[in-house]
Amino acid sequence: MKNKFFEYLEKVTHGGIQSTIMLAFSAISIALMLILGLALEARFSAVFRNEVIQSTQKLMEQTGESLEDYLIAMRQISDAAYYNAIKEYDISGETQDIQKSLNLLYEANKESLRSIALYNHYGSLIAAEPVASQKEDPDVTRQGWFMRAMEEMENMHFSTPHIQNLFLDTTYRYYWVVSLSRMVELTNGGDSGQGVLLVDMDFSGISRLMKKINDENSGQYYYLCDSSGEIIYHPRQVQLSDGIGRENNRIEAAYKDGIYDEIFDGASRTVIVNTVSYTGWKLVGVLPEAMFAYGMVNLRYFLVMMLILMVMMLVVINRIVSVRISRPILKLNESVLEYEAGAKPEIHIAGSQEIRHLGYSIQKSYEKIEDLMKTIVWEQNERRKSELDALQSQINPHFLYNALDSITWMIEGERNDEAVYMVTQLARFFRLSLSRGYTVICVRDELQHAQTYMNIQKVRCKDSFSVLLDIDPAVEEYCAVKLILQPILENAINYGVSGMDDGEITIIGKMDGEDVLLAVRDNGIGIPEEEAQLLLTDNNRVHKHGSGVGLVNVNRRIQLLFGKAYGLCIESEPDEGTTVSIRLPAIPFTEENRLLLEKGYVSGREEIINKISREDSDEE
Amino acid sequence: MKNSRKMFILIEAILAFMLILVTAAMLRARNGKEPDRIAVILREPDTSQWAAFKYGLRAAAEDAGVEVQIVSAEGQLSAEEEGSMLDREIVDGADAIILQPVPGGGTGELLEMIGSRVPAILVGCPSFGEGQVPAVGPDNGAMGAALAGELQKDCGESFPEKTIGILSETADTKEGQDRENGFVEALRETGKMIAWSVSASGQDEWKELLAAQPAVDIMICLDDSSLVAAGKEAAAGNLHGARVYGIGHSTEAVYYLDMGNVERLVVPDEFNVGYQSLTEVAHRLKNRFYKMKSADISYTVLYRETLFSRENQDLLFTMSQ
Repeated sequence: MKNKFFEYLEKVTHGGIQSTIMLAFSAISIALMLILGLALEARFSAVFRNEVIQSTQKLMEQTGESLEDYLIAMRQISDAAYYNAIKEYDISGETQDIQKSLNLLYEANKESLRSIALYNHYGSLIAAEPVASQKEDPDVTRQGWFMRAMEEMENMHFSTPHIQNLFLDTTYRYYWVVSLSRMVELTNGGDSGQGVLLVDMDFSGISRLMKKINDENSGQYYYLCDSSGEIIYHPRQVQLSDGIGRENNRIEAAYKDGIYDEIFDGASRTVIVNTVSYTGWKLVGVLPEAMFAYGMVNLRYFLVMMLILMVMMLVVINRIVSVRISRPILKLNESVLEYEAGAKPEIHIAGSQEIRHLGYSIQKSYEKIEDLMKTIVWEQNERRKSELDALQSQINPHFLYNALDSITWMIEGERNDEAVYMVTQLARFFRLSLSRGYTVICVRDELQHAQTYMNIQKVRCKDSFSVLLDIDPAVEEYCAVKLILQPILENAINYGVSGMDDGEITIIGKMDGEDVLLAVRDNGIGIPEEEAQLLLTDNNRVHKHGSGVGLVNVNRRIQLLFGKAYGLCIESEPDEGTTVSIRLPAIPFTEENRLLLEKGYVSGREEIINKISREDSDEE
Repeated sequence: MKNSRKMFILIEAILAFMLILVTAAMLRARNGKEPDRIAVILREPDTSQWAAFKYGLRAAAEDAGVEVQIVSAEGQLSAEEEGSMLDREIVDGADAIILQPVPGGGTGELLEMIGSRVPAILVGCPSFGEGQVPAVGPDNGAMGAALAGELQKDCGESFPEKTIGILSETADTKEGQDRENGFVEALRETGKMIAWSVSASGQDEWKELLAAQPAVDIMICLDDSSLVAAGKEAAAGNLHGARVYGIGHSTEAVYYLDMGNVERLVVPDEFNVGYQSLTEVAHRLKNRFYKMKSADISYTVLYRETLFSRENQDLLFTMSQ
């Protein structure tokens, strides 16, 4: 799966310049966006975290102040009770006045006050507000607030919340109070004594305050504990006491004011500690790590959404840019591909300066290549033509030399009639040889030419051999190269039948499939096989007879005109004779075909051959 | 060129799909999921005996992030009437039900009817259905036995001479029967006979009923209502010196203990009954494959002398909410 993906990626990246540019741009864009997104997320997280911590700190400071106000109010009530009531009156006879003063205080603060009570140092109740029956034997001397007041006389003592269990309440309710106790000096019949003043503040004041800040359901919470970690208020107070939940209150109570990161119950959290004055109580704000993540959820979604939108836009821009950059190159490439396929389109020149320059260069290169190709073809044709002319021109002097040599002998031997016949035949031969200067003639003319030649040779050789013609008239109207039979006949005479009394040379013309086959067969001594092979290849052989030009010359001329598939074939059996066959394409001899072949274009020859093939198939 | 266009369309399509997903997730996060609503069916839910239980429900609902709605089953509803009420609650959108056993039977059928539609749990009687039905509550039999133990301990050698009367408002429920059986079983070895056992509902009815009963030395109150009635009568001096022992979980019951009108008070931890029953249901709502479990909740024996100890104050705190 992975390999396939990489293969596909490789295919895409190697697929084209546009894909590569777009992929590269898109990859860079996405990478940049991701980096930007992560950086933004980290920055926003840090800012969000700081803001949450700061706002929590502020809230805690405000709550701390409210708690302090609550405690100050308690102190003030206690001070007022002490200095305005207790110190002013003698408990032996002015209890009513004390009661009255306490009543005034109670009435003024009854919203937050549960009770005010004055006890002597034996724990006996002297006065209390509101007036209520004391429970039977509450034994206040064993209660914490009483003991602390008696132990540390100079201080005021705040208790943790507890049930007020001193007075009867006919509503069957048990109130939670925070007790402020202090030792007071009592005047009893002029004597000074000790007592304890108790101010019970309704805990619901603190509870409401704490509930209010715990109301936000965003994960953070606040609790209040005393300096030893004893819980005063906790939103999960009962769960904690039942063991359902746990709190790190013992440790956190020892923290100084500040911000702390800690791991509790396997979860990271930030703890803010704020100490409440007068009591040493600790207001603790707990911010679980998950809360920061939860608060960032929407922002994260928004960031991801913005990033995706930006990536989408960037991909579109990348696409436009890549198309703009690559289009001229692609168009140029298309032109080049068309050119390679054989068409000759205009090279597309557009785009940036560099690409335009490249287009101009390619166009110029192609123009130059075309010119060079034309020149090469022209030069090739010229070379072929001149070579053909040169080969052809080798024949005439050779033959002329032999013929004139024979005529010389005849005249010297006073065989004038024969010389006349010879000269006549020679003249005819040369007339045919000229063939109006054409290289390509029809087979009939070439056969006639061969016959004239054989007539001359027969005279020369005193009819020492016979000549037979086996010609299929069908072959006569096809194209042949001029003077191809004469050198073969010359060889047949010189190397085949010379010196024989019953020499016989047969000239054959017939169709062989699609080709024309001309052959010269003699019944001479034959040629050894190894020598027969050399006849068509070795141009430098030393000839026993003749001028040295012959079969190689004929073979090359045929192949120059018709191609390598055509030419000579030599079959020889020692003492049996030799047959030299000429294979030619069956091209009907017309002026048009002749001209095409004379031009020597290879394409011209193939055109004719193809045309013939088509015509043949049409006929069928 | 063609490949490039294909790739472009593919990238844009993938990004568009991602955008739709993120937008949907963002909208969902912003709107939030409507919290599950759990209906709790209680008889006389406004009386102080349910204060701790309701406080437990509220605390658990806050912890579990669900909404709790307390529905009052006025008076003694029959199983059919309670069934139609439950049906109405479910139709109104309750995702789970917490209910008390129906007095006089029919609770099993009710649970079957609800169970196929929404999760339901029983409170007050963990022995209901012998563990087959999820139920959370104190071990009623053990509480009855604890009362018997306290009684024996208090009376000491004079115990065989004491006459005992039993008061129970829930005598026709499994909960009440378990408590009575627990108490009687614990005294079986002593051969002690119960002088009388009465059942009533409503304070006025109790007053008349108690006045009509022969005097006994000990009155055993097996539920909060009968205990408060007996405490009130004891405070008024109408019990001919009978000492009251009982099971209760209201501040009134505690008050009578505090005043010395009740000798011993066995208090089930109703906060935990509420907390654990709702937590179980909330777990089940969060995970449909979660199998709700029954739970026995602890109880505490309160003595007047140590009524305001730190531990007992925590217990009183839940009752005072």
